[in-house]
Amino acid sequence: MSSSESSGVRVPQPDPIKEQRFSPAAIAEMEEIASHYPERKAACLPTLWIAQREYGGYLTPSAIQETADRLGLSFSEVEGVATFYTMYNLRKRGRHHLEVCTCLTCAVLGAYDIVHKLEHELGIHLGGTTSDGEFTLSEAECLDFCGAATVMQVGDKYFTQLTEDNVMNLIDQLRSSEDYTPAKLADAIVKIHIPLSSESGGGSAKPEDLVLPAGPML
Amino acid sequence: MSDNRLTQTEPSLNAPVADLVNIKINGLDVQVPKNENLIESARRVGVDVPYFCYHPRLSKGDAANCRMCLVEVGMPGPDGTVRMMPKPQAACTMPAAEGMVVLTETPKIVKDRKGVLEFLLINHPLDCPICDRGGECPLQNNTLFYGPPTSRYIEEKRHFPKAYPIAENVVFDRERCIHCARCTRFTEDISGDAQLGFLKRGADMEVNTFADTQYQSKFSGNVIELCPVGALLSKSYRFKARPWDLHSQKSICTRCSNGCNIKIDFRQDKLLRVNARLNEDVNEEWTCDRGKFGHDYVSSDDRLTTPLLKSNGVFSPISWTQAYSLLAEKLKAAGANSAGIGGAHLTNEDNFQFQKFFRKTLGSSNLDSRTGRYQQSETALLADRFGYHGMGNSIAQLQDMKSIFVIGSALADELPIIFLRVRKAYRFRGASVVSAISVKDTASPNVGDFASVEMIYRHGAEIPLLNGILNVLFTENLLPANTSVDLKGLQQSVTEWTPAKAAAETGVAAELITEAARALAKGPMALIAGKEIREHPHFETIAAALGNLMLATGNSDNLNIPELDVNSQGAKDMGMLPNYGPGYTPLNSPGKNTQQILESAARGELQTIWIAGDQLVEHYHDPALVQNALYKCPFVVVSELTMTETASLADLVLPAASFAEKEGSFTNCERRIQRIDKAFEISRDIKADWLIFSELAAMIDGSLMPFSASDIFKEISETVTPYAGLTLKSLGESGTRWNLSSISKSNKIFTAIYTPPVRS
Amino acid sequence: MGILNLLFANREVPNIEDIDVYEKHGGYAGLRKAVGMERQAVIDDVKLSGLRGRGGAGFPTWIKWNGLPKNYDIPHYVICNADEGEPGTYKDRELMLKLAHTLVEGMIVAGYATSSTAGYVYIRGEYVEPAWQVRKAIDQAYKKGYLGKNILGIEGFNYDLYIHLGAGSYECGEESALMSSLMGERGNPRLKFPHAPLPTVSGVWQSPTLINNVETYCAAAWMLANGGEAYAKLGTERSKGTKIISVSGHVHKPANYEIEMGTPLLELLETAGGIKGGKLKAVIPGGSSVQIMTAEQCTKINLDYESCAANGTLLGSGGFMAFNDRTDVVLLMKRTAEFYMHESCGKCTPCREGTRWIYKIMDRITSGNGQKDDIELLLDVCSQIDGRSYCGLGDAAAWPIVGAIKAFREEFEYWIEYKRSPVGKDAVPPSPEVVNPLLTLTPA
Repeated sequence: MSSSESSGVRVPQPDPIKEQRFSPAAIAEMEEIASHYPERKAACLPTLWIAQREYGGYLTPSAIQETADRLGLSFSEVEGVATFYTMYNLRKRGRHHLEVCTCLTCAVLGAYDIVHKLEHELGIHLGGTTSDGEFTLSEAECLDFCGAATVMQVGDKYFTQLTEDNVMNLIDQLRSSEDYTPAKLADAIVKIHIPLSSESGGGSAKPEDLVLPAGPML
Repeated sequence: MSDNRLTQTEPSLNAPVADLVNIKINGLDVQVPKNENLIESARRVGVDVPYFCYHPRLSKGDAANCRMCLVEVGMPGPDGTVRMMPKPQAACTMPAAEGMVVLTETPKIVKDRKGVLEFLLINHPLDCPICDRGGECPLQNNTLFYGPPTSRYIEEKRHFPKAYPIAENVVFDRERCIHCARCTRFTEDISGDAQLGFLKRGADMEVNTFADTQYQSKFSGNVIELCPVGALLSKSYRFKARPWDLHSQKSICTRCSNGCNIKIDFRQDKLLRVNARLNEDVNEEWTCDRGKFGHDYVSSDDRLTTPLLKSNGVFSPISWTQAYSLLAEKLKAAGANSAGIGGAHLTNEDNFQFQKFFRKTLGSSNLDSRTGRYQQSETALLADRFGYHGMGNSIAQLQDMKSIFVIGSALADELPIIFLRVRKAYRFRGASVVSAISVKDTASPNVGDFASVEMIYRHGAEIPLLNGILNVLFTENLLPANTSVDLKGLQQSVTEWTPAKAAAETGVAAELITEAARALAKGPMALIAGKEIREHPHFETIAAALGNLMLATGNSDNLNIPELDVNSQGAKDMGMLPNYGPGYTPLNSPGKNTQQILESAARGELQTIWIAGDQLVEHYHDPALVQNALYKCPFVVVSELTMTETASLADLVLPAASFAEKEGSFTNCERRIQRIDKAFEISRDIKADWLIFSELAAMIDGSLMPFSASDIFKEISETVTPYAGLTLKSLGESGTRWNLSSISKSNKIFTAIYTPPVRS
Repeated sequence: MGILNLLFANREVPNIEDIDVYEKHGGYAGLRKAVGMERQAVIDDVKLSGLRGRGGAGFPTWIKWNGLPKNYDIPHYVICNADEGEPGTYKDRELMLKLAHTLVEGMIVAGYATSSTAGYVYIRGEYVEPAWQVRKAIDQAYKKGYLGKNILGIEGFNYDLYIHLGAGSYECGEESALMSSLMGERGNPRLKFPHAPLPTVSGVWQSPTLINNVETYCAAAWMLANGGEAYAKLGTERSKGTKIISVSGHVHKPANYEIEMGTPLLELLETAGGIKGGKLKAVIPGGSSVQIMTAEQCTKINLDYESCAANGTLLGSGGFMAFNDRTDVVLLMKRTAEFYMHESCGKCTPCREGTRWIYKIMDRITSGNGQKDDIELLLDVCSQIDGRSYCGLGDAAAWPIVGAIKAFREEFEYWIEYKRSPVGKDAVPPSPEVVNPLLTLTPA
């Protein structure tokens, strides 16, 4: 494979770019991250995280366009990336995205009971969002914290050792928190890419803010 | 052994090379190039390895996904004994190595192929009876030869809307897709618009465009032919025919000067589709959409089928006998006071008869096939150095360039196939491309998108731009040392054109000019100048400056200013020029060129104008002049396929044959003479242009002109020096290039004087 | 044999994630020692240790380290595969969360040994908290001069460490797919040797690339400090050192246990508190991709590469899942099939079409529509995937099904004949009547 074979090519698109929502700070973050790699294209995943944050927690076609445009990639290529990875949201999610791991260990330790309970209590099916926009319920493939099963991811946090009995306490706690977790997750992931020493401030400016999840740490 | 069945039709790109290895395929010893993929190696011994996703022209990174070409491979160990690899290997990406043993028909492989086909078919709708691809479908073929007799899949298949209109001319049946990634790779590797991609993943993965937008490409039609199933289909051909009911004729595309080799598929007198025909030297196996979908006019209902005479502003049909009598009468009377325009869309034979009829029968040299802005002498400036304006390189040579300078050309629109070669040079051969243009159409993919330097200059500032580049080349000492040309004068003349000064004059950043010069210093470098240059009021001066650049960089053979219409090169070769006869023999008493003909007609000085296959009103840079001229001229004859605007201004309109209805030859922009054959006849009253001239000449003075294309070509080969020794038959399937070797070259540096454009 | 905390020696030290505490407990000693050695000597030490890749494949680590070309006209890269995704495995999570400095140290050692210019830690997107700890560790290491320019005063030893987070894809744990993802593409696997050069010759951005698992780098850091010989003394003849096993499922004390290679499976099970809620029925010893073992088979297995392989399973990534006798293996396999269907990248035919087909058959069986030939069909479909797919994910999807049929064929037959769970109505995971059809493949 020649080196040119893999290089991204800027392609003008039939659809003009509709929106530009990246803030100057976001652009600085993107440029910092892009500088970590020999090719700009490599910043595609992190930039989609930035886009997910800047566009309110999910990737609209405009968000994909803006990402592609800023990195000099083709729209369809970036859309291909955005639809490949499950953590990019292509639709608006509830304020708390409940992702219950139902993979092997969790499945045998009651994950489906929890899913069922949540469906019942929240009045939604898997994939659905409550009418007040508070919760979206999904199933997750293995979150790889099997020792603390059953595990649920909400935004940037894992909640562990959930049972049918304690899961609704967690829901009440979440309901009372102020966060918009899909954007918070995106923000955390973006910040993790950025070293303290970088000019854009650096993600590690606040690792002490890190709140460890409920349940025992293994 | 697979009995030499061939389940796929892709051309093999094997070329003999020095570095050979010995391998054994199904027990047959064969020498193959080292690292050649095993599908190609197997072909050498007549073994057919079935596949879907592999394509010799597409990058292999995304190949090996269909798993159809699995073979067993063994490698010799250090002690020489061959150890078979535990897993079957994809032949399409497996590189041949010394001592390799390949088995393609073992029970294991037979079962694996069955397995892969069973997988591919579980979600395939198997709606072959209503599928356009049926009968020429690799999936059908492979299933027939290698597939399981039945399926064990009893679950629900995937469902998608049928015939989703993905592009203007292409519909997409997503149910039939087998995810081979050929179309997606085509848009990335070949056409470069990168509009088709995979979305989602796993069994949900699908080919799509961004956000369901329309797939807009100048080359979208190729994905229809690349698709190994009936997923991507031509909108216009859909449900029109079964492939085995079609007749096919080899032909040449007429939509531009690239001369793509095509097959026209037809039933009775209806042209149903155009497919690419392999010619490694011209279009490889591609077509552009203009060529693939742009030939509907041939079978259009608007075709003229009888001569039409205008009286009192209304056309009424007349017989050919009447038309000929009228023509004979009018032309005899006009004699040398007549003129002929056109030829760029006619065959060489048409053109040869056209000029012969005017010169011999009428005694007029008021002939010009050129309808562009530049109509000065063809020998001016560059002819002695580069031959007649045209291409120094062949199309295929472009891919071997280290750098390519495209100036003043929306190449993908003007010369789509040359565009693909340039892109190939860039993507697969590592060439760097420099693009300079004054007006950029940002919505449409073009050379600028992959150019390492893209310059958008102020129109009229071509000379300062070239001077700026030369200045950098001289200052940074980037020119080859042992050039036989004395460049001192040139160097002196560009000394003042520092990048900064050139930047101020051209509007291109000084750094870009410097970068461009550095890129162009990598040789061999080819230059392609396009329509913007050709139609430039200062064409001659700019051409001289381009020539200087090429001479200075030691690339004087690589200057390309291609003709743009299908046979504008051939028409000139045939002597459809006011000052040259066939084969560029200078005339003692030149006639008028197009502009002069029109001006003179507008003054009422000409009695007859004959326009053959040229939409002058529609395309001439001064349409008012054309209208005025045709209005003033007492007798205007137009031979055309349909009633064009130009034809509607004529007094007599003659129904002419399209390329599908006649024999003959075209000469493309790289001077490749290629033949076309008659596919069908729409009406007996439609005549080839050459026939009209032959018959008319016989009527006027009883002179006997040839009555077949091959006879005319024989006369051409006797008259036109570069065509000497050729016959229509000897042109073969891929044509013959005539070269410039007969033309003596000098290494003269021309002065390119810059006339700053008047700015408001 | 049994628990042996090498990497985990400092796990319980308070604030071990802080660089000062880490250094106080011997941290970065391995790196300091390494930079005093010739680069080749470091690689030789890794060779001496007998360390094998801890990500699952068990490939000798030193061969990779030694495989990078020794000319440096193009940059070399070090990548850490921290895309821990194998169901049942969570060792890398804990290593990063508590011992991120060990990982950083190991990666710097690898960077030194291979003269690489940069390293990337590819962490799965869900692992926000572990990634924060790695971030903090990297930032602290920069401050202390373990990263950056002229590291530890060694002229020309310039090495940067970056974090790259994934975004939800199991496939990206496959090393070539990981490279695709790192380069900003879909997580599709890339051509492998002999179809393309090894990553150590031409990996990311066509540069020589070293890819190892988190645990491998951590082990490298340990052995540089303590000597490869010390490491090689541990474990069995061909499986050296220790392995972290993530124990989960029906056990009383699920946790990561670092054991000496060769520890009997049942000994570990006992350490983890034994089976809860019933008797031991089955164990998946190395993550969801490996064959399930019956209780009887478990008695014979020692946790090392060879013993696992001899018993028809694999040590894999060390995702040890134990199941009690309430577990319905067929339902468990249906969930496994669902996982692979969902995580198949879609690039190649057998995996794309086959994983969904397997799932559909499993779904049919567990919905009471099983047919007599379904077991043979499953085996045949699996054989059409195994070894035929583009990358290992297809194999990994086929093995557990084949393994489960081998070990628990009668349960499949029971389902097909009686259309209900052989375990009874309290079976786990619950059968589909209880739960809605869950996963749709459509990304939300």
